[in-house]
Amino acid sequence: MTLTSAVSRAALAGGLLLAGTCLSSAEELTFWMLNYSSQASADIWAKLVSDFEAANPGTKITIVNRGTDDHKTAIRVAAGTDKGPDIYFMWAGLGLGGEYVKAGLSLPLDKYYAEYKWDDELMPAALSFSRMYPGGRHGVPSTFRGEAIYYNKALFEKAGITSLPANYDEMVAGAEKLKAAGIPAITFGGTVNWHVMRLMDVILESKCGAEKHDALKEMTAKWSDEACAAASFTELEKWGKNYILSPFMGIDDAQAFNLFVADRAAMVLEGDWLVGMLDEAGKLEDVDFFPFPTGTNRLYGFADYNYVSSKSKNPDLAAKFLDYLASTPVQQEALGSFGTTSVNKNVVYGDMRPLDKKWLDVFNTYGEVYLNGDQAFPLDVTTEYFRIINEVVSGNMAPADAVKAMQTFIDNKS
Amino acid sequence: MAKRAILSDIRIQTWLLLGPALVIYVVFAVFPMLDVIWLSAFKWNGLDPVKEYVGATNYVDIFTKDPVFWVAFKNTVIWTILSVSIPPMVGLALALGLNQPIFGRNSLRAVYYLPVIIAPIAVATMWRWMYNPFFGLFGQIMTLLGLGAYVPDWLGSRDAALYSAFAAHVWQSVGFSMVLFLAGVQEVNKSLVEAARIDGAGRWGVFRYVTLPALRTTLTIVLVLAIISSLKAFDIVYGLTGGGPAQSTQMLALWAFTQSMQIFDFGRGSAISVVLLAVTLAVVIPYMRWNQKREEAAQ
Repeated sequence: MTLTSAVSRAALAGGLLLAGTCLSSAEELTFWMLNYSSQASADIWAKLVSDFEAANPGTKITIVNRGTDDHKTAIRVAAGTDKGPDIYFMWAGLGLGGEYVKAGLSLPLDKYYAEYKWDDELMPAALSFSRMYPGGRHGVPSTFRGEAIYYNKALFEKAGITSLPANYDEMVAGAEKLKAAGIPAITFGGTVNWHVMRLMDVILESKCGAEKHDALKEMTAKWSDEACAAASFTELEKWGKNYILSPFMGIDDAQAFNLFVADRAAMVLEGDWLVGMLDEAGKLEDVDFFPFPTGTNRLYGFADYNYVSSKSKNPDLAAKFLDYLASTPVQQEALGSFGTTSVNKNVVYGDMRPLDKKWLDVFNTYGEVYLNGDQAFPLDVTTEYFRIINEVVSGNMAPADAVKAMQTFIDNKS
Repeated sequence: MAKRAILSDIRIQTWLLLGPALVIYVVFAVFPMLDVIWLSAFKWNGLDPVKEYVGATNYVDIFTKDPVFWVAFKNTVIWTILSVSIPPMVGLALALGLNQPIFGRNSLRAVYYLPVIIAPIAVATMWRWMYNPFFGLFGQIMTLLGLGAYVPDWLGSRDAALYSAFAAHVWQSVGFSMVLFLAGVQEVNKSLVEAARIDGAGRWGVFRYVTLPALRTTLTIVLVLAIISSLKAFDIVYGLTGGGPAQSTQMLALWAFTQSMQIFDFGRGSAISVVLLAVTLAVVIPYMRWNQKREEAAQ
């Protein structure tokens, strides 16, 4: 081979390489998400990405994993630049996901919802969050979480509770029966603010009803004007004083769970993920659950979503990848890695644990959802909501002062 | 020849030695400090492409509308007062004790210093477990003593949480004061001690009129470091209580972090940082100048 031909071949190879690079860069997707929760989760993601790339030659998917706070910060940094992900993970709701939607970082997906018919394939409760943002539908659900009251069957029996509460008053009556039997009704961990917040959220839903509760969370109704808001704080104070296993402000949710499985309290307000933890603790047979009886026919829960960035150079490919992730075969394959239940309603469940099956029935029963407070409010209001809840439940702030403090903070913000 | 003459110039040598450190200091300390002051005049959530200039609004808001700022301010003052009194006193007592020819002296010095090298967040994790009201060490001991009904919610009660966190801080930081005092105590002129004893001074007299004056410089260093570290107290409180319950253990440094990195209100977080900086300078500079004058007068 002469020097000239060698140079020519090298130039040709370089040109092809360059062309290949350009081609592949046109089909690149970057997906920012949280760290994998387990090795099984990492393995299934690697396989799914590899399968998608094989089915779509020239496509390259890059997954970037970060811790929760780093993830939030990275998206904020990226928001101010032209760089950043094509797809990003974020929780649904006006508080967390909504902030990025409001900032214009999320691409409306209406045309992709129509093209890929996600409404026909995914669970209505999980999809409901995509409609809560102004200016179109945003994000595609990846997992959906419901929260309910888990109870210790033996302790309920010991307290003489023979039927599950059908409304809030019966719920309180049950707690009173447990107290009379010397059994702390429920356990919470106060160091993680969102744990006690769950109790306030379900009380608000019970006392205010769906519409007013939403208005309070959307800050369109005044906390100081709505009698149900003060009544809810009064109820919260009552639970803190009488029914929550004390002391609870110095422990966290994990310790509260340990107390629950040690039969120290009769109930805990937790999500569907608790089934696996109960299984590991060998308590599946001893525990059952029921959605908190708010009387509004809405399920308490939240969803994880994947959003397409408005800055993506390949929104069509991003939507195609999200459709692939949400598809029945992929959800069937990843079942157990993404969650015990799938957001895809066509997934077939085999040998399920009874409580998982019950959760699946619950998810398919409820068409509407009310959100956790920390995902409904903006971050600064959430921080103040936590503070006020903790003050009230500890008996350090009167309910009347709590609603005033809440409204003053919201008014000062605007 | 000319190059050698230039390099032998003491001013050139000085700048050659200081230059690299100065550049690093300006880039990583002065610039961020100025940037924080500048950012405190803006409203910015880290998402919007444009920062909105709001002048002194962030300062007005934290002073008049923020329900947590003054709690954090008060806690920082309490923490600072406790930090400049208790750990130095305990450290001095330990240094005096461990300066005596006792059995196992070196091992004891290492034992007391050991907590200093543990990361504060690890210390927080350890103490959080010990404070657990159901399974923790202190609760178990009180239960064994028949005081189970009186186990407090160490980290969950707004009356106890700050002081519980401070106890963990004392455990971790006292070794640092001890080492500094130990170095100072070992430098005390022995002939002066002997002379004082010959003149009839007892243990207290020797300590009061010989040891303590000789420790003046060490004392200044210990107190200044204690003031600075306590004003910016963050990690151990973050690890133990996260500022709770109900923000009752918030500190200025932690609240600035919370505002900037968790609530993403960078303007307000910066304003709190600037207030903290101003407070630190207002406390430390007059103290150092007063002490400098006192030392000059003594000489």
